[in-house]
Amino acid sequence: MARSHWPRSLRALSVIGLAALLPLHGCNSLGLLDVTNPDIIPTVNSASGAIALKNGVVLRLAQVTAGIGGNGPDNLFIYGGLLADEYRSGDTFVQRNDMDQRRWDPTNTFLAGPFRDLNRVRAAGATAITALRQYSPAPSSNIGLMFAFIGFADNLAGEYYCNGIPLSSVVGTTIVYGDPVPYDSLFGLAIANADSAVAIATGTDSVSARVRQLAWVVKGRALLNRGQFAAAAAAVALVSTSFHYDVSFSSNAGQNEIWNLNTSIKRYTVADTEANVGLPFVSANDPRVPRATGGPVFDSAFPITSNREGIWGQFSSVAIASGIEARLIEAEATLQAGDAATWLTDLNVLRTNPSLYAPIQSGYTRGPTLGNLTDPGSFDGRVNVMFYERAFWLFSTGHRLGDMRRLVRPTAQGGYARPVNTVYPNGIFIKGGLYGDALMMPVPFDEENNPKFAHCTDRNP
Amino acid sequence: MSLSRLRFAIRHSLPAVAVLVGLTGWLPAAVRAQQGTVAGRVTDQASGQPLGGARVTVAGTSLITQTNADGRYTVSRVPIGQATVRANAVGFGAQSRTVTVNAGETTVVDLALTLAPYSLEEVVVTSTGDQAKKEVGNAITTIRADSLVATRPITNMNDLLVAKVAGVQLLPSPLTGGGGRVRIRGTTSLSLSNEPVYIIDGIRMESAVGSSSIGIGGTIPSRVNDINPEEIESFEVVRGPSASTLYGTDAANGVIVIKTKRGRPGPAQWSFYTEGGIIKDYNTWPTAYRGWRTGATGSTNSLPTNGVQCILTQTARAPTDPQFCRQDSVTAYNVFEDPDASALGTGYRGQVGVQVSGGAETARYFFAGEVSDERGLLRMPPAFYSKLTTARQISDVPYDQYRPNARKYSSLRANVNASLSPRLDAGISTAFITSTQRLPQTDNNTTGLLSNGFGGPGNKNNGRLGYRLYTPDQFFSETVNQDINRFIGSGTLDWRPTNWLTGRTVAGIDYTGRVDQDLCRRDQCAPIDSVAITGNKTDNRTFFFDYTLNADATATFQLNPTLVSKTTVGAQYFKSIFDRNGAFSYNLPPGATQVGAGAVQSTGSSRSEAKTVGAFVQQELAFRDRLFVTAALRADDNSAFGANYKAVYYPKASVSWVISDEPFFPRWSWINSVRVRGALGFSGNHPGSTDALKFYAPKPANVDNADAASLVDSAIGNPNLKPERAREIELGGEATLLASRLHVDFTYYNKRTKDALIARTVAPSVGSGNVTRFENLGAVVNRGVEFLVEGQLITKPSIGWDATVTGSYNTNFIADMGGVPPIIGTTMEERQGYPIDGYWQRAYTYSDLDGNGIITANEITVADSMTFVGYSQPRWEVAFTNGIDLFNRKVRIVGMFDLKAGHYLLNGTDRIRCQSRNNCRGLVDPSAPLWEQARVVALRESGTTTQFGFMEKADFIRLREASITYELPLQWARAMRASQASVTLAGRNLWKSTSYSGVDPESNYITNSASTGSVNDFQTQPPPTYWTFRLNVTF
Repeated sequence: MARSHWPRSLRALSVIGLAALLPLHGCNSLGLLDVTNPDIIPTVNSASGAIALKNGVVLRLAQVTAGIGGNGPDNLFIYGGLLADEYRSGDTFVQRNDMDQRRWDPTNTFLAGPFRDLNRVRAAGATAITALRQYSPAPSSNIGLMFAFIGFADNLAGEYYCNGIPLSSVVGTTIVYGDPVPYDSLFGLAIANADSAVAIATGTDSVSARVRQLAWVVKGRALLNRGQFAAAAAAVALVSTSFHYDVSFSSNAGQNEIWNLNTSIKRYTVADTEANVGLPFVSANDPRVPRATGGPVFDSAFPITSNREGIWGQFSSVAIASGIEARLIEAEATLQAGDAATWLTDLNVLRTNPSLYAPIQSGYTRGPTLGNLTDPGSFDGRVNVMFYERAFWLFSTGHRLGDMRRLVRPTAQGGYARPVNTVYPNGIFIKGGLYGDALMMPVPFDEENNPKFAHCTDRNP
Repeated sequence: MSLSRLRFAIRHSLPAVAVLVGLTGWLPAAVRAQQGTVAGRVTDQASGQPLGGARVTVAGTSLITQTNADGRYTVSRVPIGQATVRANAVGFGAQSRTVTVNAGETTVVDLALTLAPYSLEEVVVTSTGDQAKKEVGNAITTIRADSLVATRPITNMNDLLVAKVAGVQLLPSPLTGGGGRVRIRGTTSLSLSNEPVYIIDGIRMESAVGSSSIGIGGTIPSRVNDINPEEIESFEVVRGPSASTLYGTDAANGVIVIKTKRGRPGPAQWSFYTEGGIIKDYNTWPTAYRGWRTGATGSTNSLPTNGVQCILTQTARAPTDPQFCRQDSVTAYNVFEDPDASALGTGYRGQVGVQVSGGAETARYFFAGEVSDERGLLRMPPAFYSKLTTARQISDVPYDQYRPNARKYSSLRANVNASLSPRLDAGISTAFITSTQRLPQTDNNTTGLLSNGFGGPGNKNNGRLGYRLYTPDQFFSETVNQDINRFIGSGTLDWRPTNWLTGRTVAGIDYTGRVDQDLCRRDQCAPIDSVAITGNKTDNRTFFFDYTLNADATATFQLNPTLVSKTTVGAQYFKSIFDRNGAFSYNLPPGATQVGAGAVQSTGSSRSEAKTVGAFVQQELAFRDRLFVTAALRADDNSAFGANYKAVYYPKASVSWVISDEPFFPRWSWINSVRVRGALGFSGNHPGSTDALKFYAPKPANVDNADAASLVDSAIGNPNLKPERAREIELGGEATLLASRLHVDFTYYNKRTKDALIARTVAPSVGSGNVTRFENLGAVVNRGVEFLVEGQLITKPSIGWDATVTGSYNTNFIADMGGVPPIIGTTMEERQGYPIDGYWQRAYTYSDLDGNGIITANEITVADSMTFVGYSQPRWEVAFTNGIDLFNRKVRIVGMFDLKAGHYLLNGTDRIRCQSRNNCRGLVDPSAPLWEQARVVALRESGTTTQFGFMEKADFIRLREASITYELPLQWARAMRASQASVTLAGRNLWKSTSYSGVDPESNYITNSASTGSVNDFQTQPPPTYWTFRLNVTF
């Protein structure tokens, strides 16, 4: 009878049952749970791997500057242009409208993308440096380039964000949270990293020379942000006027996002005397900003005309640092030094050289070749001219917001102490309500996942 | 696996195998001589007719059989002595008799069953096999799908699930072929899937919602809808961890166990059905308004082709204000009501199927085949159709552009069951499914129908017949197709080596081949960018493989005359593979439709794999066949667990007590049975296949104008990752009353998910590749009640009335965020102490202070901080079904009302119409009510803008289903050489009542989101109405 079996059998079954649960710890050792994931690469331990990491940093830099791909996350150059007077939102997304309206809102969900991308340059750059030193130390220009990139990112962070910017990192799988630091410290880091780049990329080859020129521009730009004009000019003295360091695009690697957001899908439109304060990027008919005008923007509900930059096509490279910028730094130093004549000459040399103008795409309009400027006769007037020239030479390359911030920054901190409402768009916003009071971008709300960060230390320019 | 490891595994397995062989070996001849046989017939007590397919068991043993078509059965190897033989069948109460079995003799036991629509003897499918419902300590609902599909407007699996089971919420898709979203007992996980898992004929089924690699703006297909409801016999909903423990990791959101039809002994029975129907839209769609003005400049003078207008708040400004304007007039235009411009047409549906089942006691079969064709209601409007034929110089617009939403579907099923010997049953279940789906550009899609239809300027003469940016001839010219070829096959072996031991093995595969294609022919699509203008083609081919292997053994012992022990041990192996190759190109030459034709081409591929190994042991004790105590433990390891995490253990325990069988229970005539039950159980939800890993990802980079290989940091990894662990306590009971004519069921549950996997945002300053990293941080609580009342109110031969009410109430909140800051979205936040996906916004108050009938910014007060507005998921769900039989039960009328309440819905359509389309009534029309004006001003012009006014109560009651079935006179059936024939006229979504001001409170932009996320009526198509006419013929 079955009944007679139960004690022995039940005990045996129980043993089997419980025993069946125990070996699960060993499933992996038996390979039962082995899986293949060809999509991922767990380690990098070769020279070619180190080079690939270096190339990855190039990709990250392109993402944060001129952007790669489609409709967001927006790159810093164009998104910052909304807060500045370079672009208007032609979009229905409130995140772009809010930035155009200068709303100070750390919870704006478009903020995290560019801030994250900026830090990716820094973090990935550090990873690449480690790998290059271990697996591919020569040529040293690759390592120098990584330092220059990190310095570039540090400087951009200082220009775009409020005081209290945290710098975190990852060790293995552990996040090491960074303390918030003042933006001026970012300029200091940029200078230090640029110096490292120059110190490492010592070769006589053209690549090393190019890395050094990039690093010098980065250093000069950071020194300018600190108000150390003479030092800035000295830093860029060896940069040739024809130099430019580009981020580049292709159908495989992705398209120029400035082109896409502005020219292609018209979610951005080039601004023209925004709120009667901004510069006339369209109506000035300046040859440095070729453009096309007409038709509706993406958000056709508002009577906003679509102004499309004509500098870049779908896969056009974007200069993130250039010899023109070096000359402008020198000119500003000259202005600060009180040598108005040289200052004017420096600017006119650039203006009257059409070969330095931005390229133009087919079907776009370019203004006539510029003539010489006349001296406004006052320091304030010269400052206006200086920043106007910078704005047009460096249009949509991530300089304008930092310049506007310098304009309103106290002179003791290297700025020009202009009233905010004479620099930033203000008053009635075209889509309703008033302009806000943002001078720079807030560190996004997502950063509150960093236990060492609560919010910006201050919003001083 | 290396050879040495294989040897190790074999060496360590041998003792266990030896023990199993010993246990399951053949008994000696002497023991066999101690056995007898029980045989008999099972009949319907009322009619005396035999009951085929009745289940016959011998208590305290593993012996089980089914009656043949003549109601006869034989059970051999019955232990001698007292034996209790029990028979039960669907729709009948169980009957049992205790007899004495003598060695080597056959004891005859005939059993007559009485009709009982509600019975605790009902058999349900559990993770350890079939069990009587009374043995299970959980609420398990069984839906008889075969009876529903024949008489209700059921066109897919979503229709079968909606409003049928308490605690199960299904948000249906408005599109033909679109997938619905299922939530069982609330939203459990903050970051992982909240969809249940599906088991079909014993194996895991691919059930992804949002299963397409190409977005269309709205809902996309769900693999659940690949399953043909016509082939389902029944399905059970296992609602929470207390019941789903033994289904292992992944089952925390519940399990839907599908059992397809089986053949029964008897002559071949053919059934044929055909269905035709129409799909219509009877919703009220919003009208676009425009306030015209006259001015001296282009920016102040309204023209039909520009967006210049005068809005209400401008009219209320001082004439000296630069923004002041006067409205010349207000026009209104509704593109959806203009037959020339509207894309809302009439959809059609056709379906033909045939099924045959039968067989002998030794082998039974069920074969089925079906084809169906459904065209959704969207069409290219006549005006744009004409425009295209003229522009392209063609006589007809290609049909796939004319009717952009359609699905052709066919399925074949072959199920065969065989009794190979008295000790061994085998079953094979196979299904082949093929479908071709066409999906429209719609909903939240710049180049889709509703973005442009809702956003028009309020006048028809804008050059686009009232559409905003793009027109139907453009966006319907983009064709998105999905082709599915799917095979689901499983085999089952039931082995009963002794009268106390059963073994069961189920193995199977679910293979899905999916081809997603998106084609924009050159110069035909909405010209949003050069990729669209020059034409483009996407061709993504994805393969899904789900392998399941289950094996378990159950030993049943009659420990003493009152106590039966049932011990089950089992193991499971599950492997899932996702493998995709994709290609894309653009700049196509005119007429080209293939990827290879594009001037710019790109490719991609992706593969992931996940494996689970599990084992369980369960001990059940049954005392006097009325008190059932069960305890179990399941252990799982999974390839997605972190390196530092080895295995997870899920215990469970339950009690089921048929208290009405106790001697002390009062013997009141109106009480037939009362059962109380309680259960505690754990289950889990595992992370994604690579979530624990740190890795780099390859990306193409352009370095100095040359493409180069690059690597970017992609994920930080988390070696401590482990599954979410959900614990649920369930208490409840049920009673059958009034001569088994009334059945009530009540359940309370309290589910707490700890180690909740939160896709924690990585601080951007870290600079990591991944935006989020899974961490086991939080806890989520769901608790609530579920109830069911069903009754046969009138049961006369000529007339009948049955009614069912199912309902549930859910409270959901995040109990712990693990120190993570709130996850803040534009309109939703995840905050500790509040529900998942709760609506948050700054509230406001308003008053028309100057009494001018126009609300302006100074008459609005907006709160400084965000406040919780409400749940985004319904808390209350009640379905009320009435069935009336008339004319000697030849006519049956069924109506089902579906109520959902206690939640809010963001009317995102009106929000964007007011905010940036500038065509909503509250913005423009002076006769708009003040509340409508106020929410516009609060949105646009207050110092702190807020969408609060667009978060609306979304309670509704809907006549979800109604049908009338007429059983044709027998002579009509015989004229068709049939034994039975019926026709059914049925409708779905026939009427609704709601205060929600949008098109429909079930319009939802992300109806197919598996995880959490925005719940938003955002430029979304509402559910349409189906009318179907069906003929059922049985031969």
